[in-house]
Amino acid sequence: MNVLIGLAVIVCLVGVIFRISTWFSQGIRPSVPSIPTGERISAAVSATLGILFSPKIIEVIKSFFLDILFQFRSFERSLLRWSAHFLIFSGFVLLIFTHVLTDADSTANPYIFLRNLFGLMALIGVGLAVYRRFSWKPLRLQTYPSDWAALILIAVIMVTGFMLEGTKISSFAVYQNMVEEYADVDEEEEIALEAYWVAKNGVQSPNVTKPFDPELIEQGFEVHENNCMDCHSSTRNAFASFTVSKIMGPITGSGAFAVGALTFLHIIAFVALLVWLPFNKMFHIVSAPVSLISRRIMGLKGDNTANILNRQMVGLSACTHCGSCSVECSAVMYFESFQNNFILPSEKIQFLKEIAAGKDLDATTLKKLQKGLYVCTSCDRCSSICPSGINLRDIFVSSRYALLEKGTPETSILSHFSFPLALAQKFTGDHLKALKAVEELFKSKFKSLTDLLGPMTLSKSKGVINRTYQSCYSCQRCTNICPVVRSYDNPGETLDMLPHQIIYALGIGNTDIAMGSQMIWSCSTCYLCQEHCPNQVELTDIFYSLKNGAINKIEEGEQ
Amino acid sequence: MKYAFFQGCHIPIRIEQYATATEAVFKKFGIELEEIREFNCCGYPIRNVDEKAYMLPSVRNIALAEKAGLDILVICNCCFASLQKAKHVLARDAQLKEELNLILAKEGLQYKGTCEIKHFLTVLHGEVSLETITINLVHKFNDFNISVIQGCHILRPREVTQFDDSFVPKITEDLLKVAGVNSLDWRGRLECCGAALAGINDELSHSLLTEKIEGAQQAGADYITPICSYCHLQFDTTQKNILTDKPESQLLPVILYPQLLGLCLGIDEKELGLSLNKTLQQGDIDKIKSLLGPPIEEKKKRKRKKKKEDEVPA
Repeated sequence: MNVLIGLAVIVCLVGVIFRISTWFSQGIRPSVPSIPTGERISAAVSATLGILFSPKIIEVIKSFFLDILFQFRSFERSLLRWSAHFLIFSGFVLLIFTHVLTDADSTANPYIFLRNLFGLMALIGVGLAVYRRFSWKPLRLQTYPSDWAALILIAVIMVTGFMLEGTKISSFAVYQNMVEEYADVDEEEEIALEAYWVAKNGVQSPNVTKPFDPELIEQGFEVHENNCMDCHSSTRNAFASFTVSKIMGPITGSGAFAVGALTFLHIIAFVALLVWLPFNKMFHIVSAPVSLISRRIMGLKGDNTANILNRQMVGLSACTHCGSCSVECSAVMYFESFQNNFILPSEKIQFLKEIAAGKDLDATTLKKLQKGLYVCTSCDRCSSICPSGINLRDIFVSSRYALLEKGTPETSILSHFSFPLALAQKFTGDHLKALKAVEELFKSKFKSLTDLLGPMTLSKSKGVINRTYQSCYSCQRCTNICPVVRSYDNPGETLDMLPHQIIYALGIGNTDIAMGSQMIWSCSTCYLCQEHCPNQVELTDIFYSLKNGAINKIEEGEQ
Repeated sequence: MKYAFFQGCHIPIRIEQYATATEAVFKKFGIELEEIREFNCCGYPIRNVDEKAYMLPSVRNIALAEKAGLDILVICNCCFASLQKAKHVLARDAQLKEELNLILAKEGLQYKGTCEIKHFLTVLHGEVSLETITINLVHKFNDFNISVIQGCHILRPREVTQFDDSFVPKITEDLLKVAGVNSLDWRGRLECCGAALAGINDELSHSLLTEKIEGAQQAGADYITPICSYCHLQFDTTQKNILTDKPESQLLPVILYPQLLGLCLGIDEKELGLSLNKTLQQGDIDKIKSLLGPPIEEKKKRKRKKKKEDEVPA
């Protein structure tokens, strides 16, 4: 068993070191040559030293207590999630100190009591976490098998622990072994001691039954005082296990086999957790503290590219897939409309981990992810909510352009999601390139007015539900009042078609040419034309539906 | 009186001062603004892509407010228009209403259409009333020349937004007048700031913005007051961005309506977040404050009233 645990610790350590090494070797950023690992490590080290030997160290200490131990970021947003996580975290950590790392006095107070308390805390935490996973499901909380696995593993460790201790309490075989090994008693004393342990400490013996003889028990207490009490507090202090022992006793018989089996299960579950830890979300035990401290010190800022990448990787490995970001995501209704999981921040992160590691995703997934990255309101809610303090904004903006650089043209770039990006003036070159790609795509899909040779045919306009264009009586007021038309010296050439011409095109049933015109994408949606139209043609609304139709047509063609 | 305070996506992180100043002003009039954390994006950003996807988020927001039993108060024009549009369409399209309600039902929400969507200016102008504002004034501006840019989506299309006369809007002008501000007549007043084209056609977006800045300055404006949050970002952020390329141009600083009204109501400039306007330097703030005078007009009125009262018995 000890060998097994030793091996598990080694695997865990090697895994952790491997994961930490990826902090300095991977990352997502468009059009930047990769920075050598050495440079990234030295950037991280010098930044860390710079903080440790400056007044900022106070912030680090504050972060340690507030963010890491108390988990304030989680506390602020949801009491349920905080309680679940804090109970698991504190229960588990305290068990490590009172149980895993020290086996001394495990049957005496205070350890016997504390171990039960901490174990129960962790178990209640798991219960709350399971409850949260179910009750938040309607709020679009996504749960993977690995999320359940982590909870189940912790629950198994705790439950087998209680069952094991309970069985040890009730087991007659264990009692007999202990007496043989540690007690120096004659036959009479042995009977008294057994009566005492059955009556007071929950041992289930075939020899002693109720009612107990008070004299015999008093006699037994003296023997207990002389032989056992130094190492054994009353098993009732193990309040949880003592309760479990009442159930375990009758099931497990003498308990000899059950103790062996449960010990095995308990240790195997722990070993599994150790081995699994570096390779899944449990790695947040290592990365989340780093992420939280850097978040407190740097906020969402950062200008050193090497360290931005380092922090990205720490962030990606600190995600616990808790889904807090997705539940409060402002774009959440777009997820409902487009049924694209990647619109939810927590789901993007899982695949961005793979992209950072340089894995190739299939074209369909990539396109979906690219769209998911673009359909984002840039409200920064996810970054401000994240309990692990991950700078999601930076990860998403970098990934957006990194994917656009390689991927297919993204039509959502023509939405107002582009507004905050233009405002921030980051990756402007990449943005223009991506716009250009979409423009080319439009040119190849739609005919423009000048391409039309020969006579035009009359037909019904397809794809435009708004029929108000039919009441146009050609006064051209729309074009005359348009601030966009006014902005150009030669608007006909730049915009392909002027507002009134678009309405004419619909009139003769040529939706396609209207969809392909630059005019609809240059429309500032100010509604002046619509408001001023003497015949209530809803121009701006029609332009919107042409834009929708054009994007739809392109997206359908892509599939 | 209490409203569900709809701030949208930009205001909480980019124009925090718009929200805090509005809250401070409304507090003066005993109106509480409650934040509903579950509110999501209004839908506006996706409108170019998909009309139905544009409506659903607003429908959910309205359903959330209805659940809380509150009407919605909005400060961003585009959010306002989106919420009004959703109401407008669903009132005429029972099938769509049913379809979108089916999605909301998953999280136990239901859209009924009973919630009112109100722009904060409407509430100040209507419920609070110009008289109440006048009574509460501690200061009033003198010689304070500003250009207001109403923003397109609050005015048009008028049958959807139902805010004011879309050709000769009165509400904003009345509210500026109450504070003693001289709102200039200028050609960009009812036009587009270019925000809707940012990131899609930056060149055009910038030229529309520059046209407004120059127009306002030519009319003699010292400051601009944008009503919409998108306009605000265009004037307060994009203006600075494009000015770096044109050092010869002069900056047109931004002051928001609740900020200037707040000053007249005696609210502290820190609470109004004046220094958070990127285009407003401390010098500007001091200058603006120096234009604050006593609310004289009110006294004149009282005198006149008294006179009238005296005259009647005679």
